[in-house]
Amino acid sequence: MKLIDLYIYEVTRRLPEKNREDIALELQSTIEDMLPAEPTEDEVKQVLMQLGNPSVMASGYLDRPMHLIGPKYFDVYVSVLKIVLPIAMIITFISLVGETIATMSNENALSTIILTILGQGIWQLLSTAMQAAFWITLVFAVIERTEKVSDQIPVTMNFKKWTPEDLKNVSTIPQNVRIKKWHVFASLLWTAIWATVYFNASKLVGIYENHPDGKILVTPTFNQEVLLSSWLLIVLVITLEVGLAIFKGMERRWTHKVAIANTVVQVVSLVVFIIIFSNQQVWNDSFSNYVNNLMNITNQMKNWAYQSIILTVIIIISIDIFEGFRKAHKSRKTLLTRVISK
Amino acid sequence: MSALLNSLTTELRRGTLTLAVLSQLRTPQYGYSLVQRLETCGITIDQSTLYPLLRRLEKQELVTSTWDTSESRPRRYYVLSEFGIEIYHQLKSEWEKTSHELYLLLKGED
Repeated sequence: MKLIDLYIYEVTRRLPEKNREDIALELQSTIEDMLPAEPTEDEVKQVLMQLGNPSVMASGYLDRPMHLIGPKYFDVYVSVLKIVLPIAMIITFISLVGETIATMSNENALSTIILTILGQGIWQLLSTAMQAAFWITLVFAVIERTEKVSDQIPVTMNFKKWTPEDLKNVSTIPQNVRIKKWHVFASLLWTAIWATVYFNASKLVGIYENHPDGKILVTPTFNQEVLLSSWLLIVLVITLEVGLAIFKGMERRWTHKVAIANTVVQVVSLVVFIIIFSNQQVWNDSFSNYVNNLMNITNQMKNWAYQSIILTVIIIISIDIFEGFRKAHKSRKTLLTRVISK
Repeated sequence: MSALLNSLTTELRRGTLTLAVLSQLRTPQYGYSLVQRLETCGITIDQSTLYPLLRRLEKQELVTSTWDTSESRPRRYYVLSEFGIEIYHQLKSEWEKTSHELYLLLKGED
């Protein structure tokens, strides 16, 4: 008898309070129906075996899914994870890099920075990924359980049933002309790094000397106040670069518009670069003296070095602009041939 | 029987379970009498599905239930409602149509 009571308890404890008594009574009478008048323990066990796992029985009564996310939402769930997880992790990484560089003190050598970013980075990325995955899963599990219509027809990204109209949203950009996602993230990361270095130049860039406690920055290369006085120009370049990265991410392939935007950003960056570094004040006096003492540089040599740097930058930028238009042209041609061949 | 054949057979029978249960509820039945009636016709039913199924049918207003306490032990009797009879007849003709179609298909095989 005890086994039967335990079985009934195992089923009913999983049910809402108001149904418990009624279902317990019915189970009791059913089990007694199945058994002879004076049952042995083996006979009881056999009957309970027929009734099966109490949790399965209870879930049948509950009419509640025995899964976290069912076929209806699984596809959307995976798609959302694939979109959100990388973005969350990239944002975490970029802000970690910025924060580490900005809060660093003079004593930190480059190797320390990289170690900090790697060590903290892995931990923070993992924790961000787990957080994002947890909350997305929770939201979907709640949707699954609050759903009134219990058809198991899978839904698409707009949470409606699939229709042929959905095909119009399918991206058909060929792999070879697509702008890769990591490319967009890499440009954002690059912007974050150079901007942090720029605004903390006096702490980061300069001549390091060996000390017992590690390398120490003795002479900063730049005059931080002069650098900071151009903050408006720098913010302009940052905005343009971030905007370009987002624009690329949205267009998802090289187009004429992307190539033009790229040109504008590159030219503006070049102009700002020239404006800032053509100002002699930007160099720290003690740094200039140090370099002069070290190598005995004439003004002529300085000019020559300056001009060759500018020239190199111009060449690199020109190649980049040209590449942009070439890719836009190629992508247009690829898409056209695909249309014609159909 | 191989595991694959087993799962395919289960799947094949699953949809017919509701129809089989409804067909036996034209007269009032309690849980175990229903199991016995189905078993004499050769239909074995997973009991952990049957009892919850009865409750679900009641919730869908296809059957009504009453406790009968006149006998030695109280039993819960289920019987088709008006709506249940209607649905049962529709489901029955659907099944007859399907099995006829399938019969034609399978006969074509020979």
